[in-house]
Amino acid sequence: MAGLELLSDQGYRVDGRRARELRKIQARMGVFAQADGSAYIEQGNTKALAVVYGVPRGIGGVRSRALPDRALVNCQYSSATFSTGERKRRPHGDRKSCEMGLQLRQTFEAAILTQLHPRSQIDIYVQVLQADGGTYAACVNAATLAVLDAGIPMRDFVCACSAGFVEGTALADLSHVEEAAGGPQLALALLPASGQIALLEMDARLHEDHLEQVLEAAAQAARDVHTLLDHVVRQHVREASILLGD
Amino acid sequence: MLKSKTFLKKTRAGGVMKIVREHYLRDDIGCGAPGCAACGGAHGGPALEPLPQDPASSLWPRPHYLLPDTNVLLHQIDVLEDPAIRNVIVLQTVLQEVRNRSAPVYKRIRDVTNNQEKHFYTFTNEHHRETYVEQEQGENANDRNDRAIRVAAKWYNEHLKKMSAENQLQVIFITNDRKNKEKAVEEGIPAFTCEEYVKSLTANPELIDRLACLSEEGKEIESGKIIFSEHLPLSKLQQGIKSGIYLQGTFRASRENYLEATVWIHGDTEENKEIILQGLKHLNRAVHEDIVAVELFPKSQWVAPSSVVLQDEGQNEDDVEKEEEREQMLKTAVNEKMLKPTGRVVGIIKRNWRPYCGMLSKSDIKESRRHLFTPADKRIPRIRIETRQASTLEGRRIIVAIDGWPRNSRYPNGHFVKNLGDVGEKETETEVLLLEHDVPHQPFSQAVLSFLPKMPWSITEKDMKNREDLRHLCVCSVDPPGCTDIDDALHCRELKNGNLEVGVHIADVSHFIRPGNALDQESARRGTTVYLCEKRIDMVPELLSSNLCSLRCNVDRLAFSCIWEMNHNAEILKTRFTKSVINSKASLTYAEAQMRIDSATVNDDITISLRGLNKLAKILKKGRIEKGALTLSSPEIRFHMDSETHDPIDLQTKELRETNSMVEEFMLLANISVAKKIHEEFSEHALLRKHPAPPPSNYEILVKAAKSKNLEIKTDTAKSLAQSLDQAESPAFPYLNTLLRILATRCMMQAVYFCSGMDNDFHHYGLASPIYTHFTSPIRRYADIIVHRLLAVAIGADCTYPELTDKHKLADICKNLNFRHKMAQYAQRASVAFHTQLFFKSKGIVSEEAYILFVRKNAIVVLIPKYGLEGTVFFEEKDKPKPHLIYDDEIPSLKIEGIVFHVFDKVKVKIMLDSSNLQHQKIRMALVEPQIPGISIPTDSSNADLNEPEKKKKKLEK
Amino acid sequence: MASVVLSEAEKVYIVHGVQEDLRVDGRSCEDYRSVEVETDVVSNTSGSARVKLGHTDILVGVKAEMGTPKLEKPNEGYLEFFVDCSANATPEFEGRGGDDLGTEIANTLYRIFNNKSSVDLKSLCISPREHCWILYVDVLLLECGGNLFDAISIAVKAALFNTRIPRVRVLEDEEGSKDIELSDDPYDCIRLSVENVPCIVTLCKIGYRHVVDATLQEEACSLASLLVSVTSKGVVTCMRKVGKGSLDPESIFEMMETSKRVGKVLHTSLQSILHKEESLGPKRQKVGFLG
Repeated sequence: MAGLELLSDQGYRVDGRRARELRKIQARMGVFAQADGSAYIEQGNTKALAVVYGVPRGIGGVRSRALPDRALVNCQYSSATFSTGERKRRPHGDRKSCEMGLQLRQTFEAAILTQLHPRSQIDIYVQVLQADGGTYAACVNAATLAVLDAGIPMRDFVCACSAGFVEGTALADLSHVEEAAGGPQLALALLPASGQIALLEMDARLHEDHLEQVLEAAAQAARDVHTLLDHVVRQHVREASILLGD
Repeated sequence: MLKSKTFLKKTRAGGVMKIVREHYLRDDIGCGAPGCAACGGAHGGPALEPLPQDPASSLWPRPHYLLPDTNVLLHQIDVLEDPAIRNVIVLQTVLQEVRNRSAPVYKRIRDVTNNQEKHFYTFTNEHHRETYVEQEQGENANDRNDRAIRVAAKWYNEHLKKMSAENQLQVIFITNDRKNKEKAVEEGIPAFTCEEYVKSLTANPELIDRLACLSEEGKEIESGKIIFSEHLPLSKLQQGIKSGIYLQGTFRASRENYLEATVWIHGDTEENKEIILQGLKHLNRAVHEDIVAVELFPKSQWVAPSSVVLQDEGQNEDDVEKEEEREQMLKTAVNEKMLKPTGRVVGIIKRNWRPYCGMLSKSDIKESRRHLFTPADKRIPRIRIETRQASTLEGRRIIVAIDGWPRNSRYPNGHFVKNLGDVGEKETETEVLLLEHDVPHQPFSQAVLSFLPKMPWSITEKDMKNREDLRHLCVCSVDPPGCTDIDDALHCRELKNGNLEVGVHIADVSHFIRPGNALDQESARRGTTVYLCEKRIDMVPELLSSNLCSLRCNVDRLAFSCIWEMNHNAEILKTRFTKSVINSKASLTYAEAQMRIDSATVNDDITISLRGLNKLAKILKKGRIEKGALTLSSPEIRFHMDSETHDPIDLQTKELRETNSMVEEFMLLANISVAKKIHEEFSEHALLRKHPAPPPSNYEILVKAAKSKNLEIKTDTAKSLAQSLDQAESPAFPYLNTLLRILATRCMMQAVYFCSGMDNDFHHYGLASPIYTHFTSPIRRYADIIVHRLLAVAIGADCTYPELTDKHKLADICKNLNFRHKMAQYAQRASVAFHTQLFFKSKGIVSEEAYILFVRKNAIVVLIPKYGLEGTVFFEEKDKPKPHLIYDDEIPSLKIEGIVFHVFDKVKVKIMLDSSNLQHQKIRMALVEPQIPGISIPTDSSNADLNEPEKKKKKLEK
Repeated sequence: MASVVLSEAEKVYIVHGVQEDLRVDGRSCEDYRSVEVETDVVSNTSGSARVKLGHTDILVGVKAEMGTPKLEKPNEGYLEFFVDCSANATPEFEGRGGDDLGTEIANTLYRIFNNKSSVDLKSLCISPREHCWILYVDVLLLECGGNLFDAISIAVKAALFNTRIPRVRVLEDEEGSKDIELSDDPYDCIRLSVENVPCIVTLCKIGYRHVVDATLQEEACSLASLLVSVTSKGVVTCMRKVGKGSLDPESIFEMMETSKRVGKVLHTSLQSILHKEESLGPKRQKVGFLG
């Protein structure tokens, strides 16, 4: 049996996309009523929820790790036991989840205007319901929407996307099959307005000469994600204002 | 954006895991017909012709495209490859199925698709909004794919109608599946079987011969009686193998006996490693190299391997009874010890059929179209083919492919593929030996050539990046005469500090062959340049091998240099590697270089450089030998060719000069230095070469042979072997040392390439080096290209790519390279053998002095030093009375009618060409001296009465 | 458990309302809030369901995996329950904060399924003593707005209803060794009968009365409650008292009667929703969390 052909001679990927195309993205803000902010995103078959519990918490009490000059950003990543192909034993607390939580925290510390809320804590919880590649990106995108939903001031959107490299071509937004093939993959979180990078991570070896191409693919994909998220936010605000208007 | 695309998902239960994959459907996939208004036609790449004119089919005279299904593609690839077949639509569904089922066919179809002239178009139907079909309830995967193909065909016809109604362009569906065809016709799709269509191509009658003849399953049972038992289905076999009732192994047919074969069981079972199969029914249609499942018989039914030589001479189908008779012959009484595990083939796990070379045995019936084909390889059964051109094919070498082997057929069915030419013709025979050794030798395809640099080529600014200008150095190359692919050059100069700077400059082939492109893939596939006696099969296109990469004199060439700083004792003080530009000052032959070194009057820069090199090389060699490197010997033959006819006019062994070893010494040094560097940098995925130490038992024959001449050979270490070989001299017999070295060579293991991350024994036994690789011949070896790339990355001169740092991929490359090198070696030997035959054909019968190399039970193997030719003298032959032979394994000696033969004994033999078998001509040797009545032949006997004395003798004895 | 802090006045207001059979949100004591059920929301599971009961939001995924039967029940498969109280619901659940509640709920689920009639475990057996299906029922608590147990039991039932297990055949050869073969037709699968799968009806004692489907606020006013698992036929399969207060025997019988009555209605409406959804087949527009 031959292995999977990740990119056909005709330029199509396993799922029918072309190299630089994103998967279908659908998102919604304000999924839960009790949380301060919440959002849900689907990027292809990768589905993630994010909720934000915000500003006033964490002053005093047991959970006080408050910082005097800025807000503390706390993130927890968990992934439902049924989210992956093979059942996971623990939803969170394993090494990968902790690492993801840490990455998310770094990403959002770079984006949230933390100095506006000293001595407070912002909790961001993301939950992956179904994993089909690019979980980090989906989590970042969901969390961005949730933070926006909570009304916490940010420098900019944080838009993330992954990219890979197959046979001399950079592929945007890898699916699980493409990730599992074991090539180099890059995760990028971008602040689209300024073009600044909030997080950049790459696995496997890739020669630096190819990096630019892959980075550009990921950045372009992240900008496309931004267009979509921006649309979702505007739609949400419009709906909310209509409701308020009534 | 993708928003317009419909979103569907496909679930696939593999194992017990539910896997969900997205599947996007698109509406921007072109139909491949240029000028199509509806979809904009093709998007670059290969496309169909807007108005296909030929081939004119009597069934469908209007212009049309072909759309074959998977089985047609798999089995009739020979037809599809024919230039007459053009404008074919290959569906993605079909291509994927082919990919899963046969890698070679997949590669072939990709090559065809890339050929612009063939106008093959791959239609991504699985992702097209209108041609995607979902598996329905109760439908299996195969049926779904068939339906998908029909849906695509139907879509095409409707789509093309839209394009232009008047030219009535249509798609014809080609399938050999009766049900599928019926369904297609019902749905209004013009459908034919491959046979129907090809037969309707009245302009190309020769195509019919290339059709694979596949009898339909149903038909097979009706006619003729069933000879073979049914093959079990794969699932049953796998189950059986798992539970241990069947064994899986590689089928190896016997060369001598067509009714016997062995199966090498896979895995590392200690017992029953080799299973014997006897009789047609037990062989059960397995062909040499197939992967089969066998059932082991109980011990009571075990047999011993027969010593009978049997050739399949049957012409008729019905003489199965006769076969049984012959099978009885095999079962000679033997003692218990000789019995070996015996079994029968119950099923085929994987066929490993390839096209076979051979000759047609024309049917006795004059008008018959069915003929038997006899492959050149005796391990392959005869194949029945259907052809109308039997009379033209007679006496020619042809290629035939096997299509199938029905249960009621004595022979497999096949079809004619190619006519190579007349038997005995040099071109034909060369082609045959290339094909039989699986040497890729077709001209380079357009796709490959497209990656060559454009001429006129010159070194640009960009090329100079990361490159040193070494044009000022006095570099020269030393090679055999007539060498056009010069891949190494050298220099040596004295530095200001009194040390010497020595540089080895190797052609920078990896600069031209970029990883992953068609040129690279083709070179990787070829693996090595194959040198035949009168021909060279290049690994890279000639523009590179003989021009741009060849380090010719007085032109600027790109090189990869390895530069050492040495003191006058040849100790390396500093090593550095750099990509460079050089300008060789002279291309010398070994003889020319030797002359310069020797003539005291010449004192130019080149000569001084050469002398320096030579001096250092001698020190290096001495050091190497002290460490235990072996100097082995093998008789290498060189033909003197007639400059016009290219026929060999003389045979001689190659001569070695000091300069040969000078160049060799520096190449070894460069290889070792590079091996160290790349292993240091890439401990997991360096491509290295190792030479394992042979197991002690290998040396037995050498030790025994030496002992018989009262010499002692120590084999405990390489060093002691080298020393004892040096000391093994006999003043009365000067050639003895060479003979011992030849024998020692035979004891060695094969040196192989390997990936450093997959092995931990790196030692090179022959060179006594702890690490070794190949760096110095990138024009003719692919391994060197990989090594160049690794080294370039290590010094930061070039960039890496994912495959380079994947040790499994590297291990695969090594596997292919080792195979190609072995095959190249075999092909080379076969070529030498063929030319030897030509030589002796013209020379007639000669008698020469020879030395005995080996003693066998019924023969002696002799070496004729004059020609470097080795041959076997048989003492037992068919139809002749057996002489009295006593074989002693301990001394190795053979006593024939009172005369004893020892290893290294001097004999005189007569050499002649045996053309009794047209397909397998060979050199035969007969003993002349010492004379043994009834065995040896008189010195003065001429060709005519060659066999006379024996005949007379035979009569007398009776 | 997630809880709210109420003032004394608020509590009195709620208790008095219940007394009058008029609850804060306008329901009577035996009314459920409106329940939203959707199945097949996570495509890579064997079965899944999402249930929204007021602000309580539950997602259940069922994964069928092959394993070996338990020694004591060689010809049955079995169910494994896991409840993940995610931090999504409340920050208190962060880290290991939700583990205790999760274990408690999972144990309750084990108990209500621990009888032969609820699920036909024999149909999960592939070959006795060797292979069986293990159904991993994973509950994900996304938001809690009271009455967790009922919502979870509804979601579990819906997810089991939705579960499709690939059909496998056991091939046995002469030597007795077995091999598992999977059908390559994705439609060829086993469904579980959920006819007898019970649902939990929780009755909260508030003042002198009891209410079903209490909100978080109501739970805060209750001292004790009774979990009753009821099948669609009104059979009580399991019962458990929770909470720090005490109950008198008389009210327990009264509560059981209520739970049977309410439970039957609950089952009927759940069945009808599930069948309606099923009849739409693949054409059904999936909403999930996007609606």
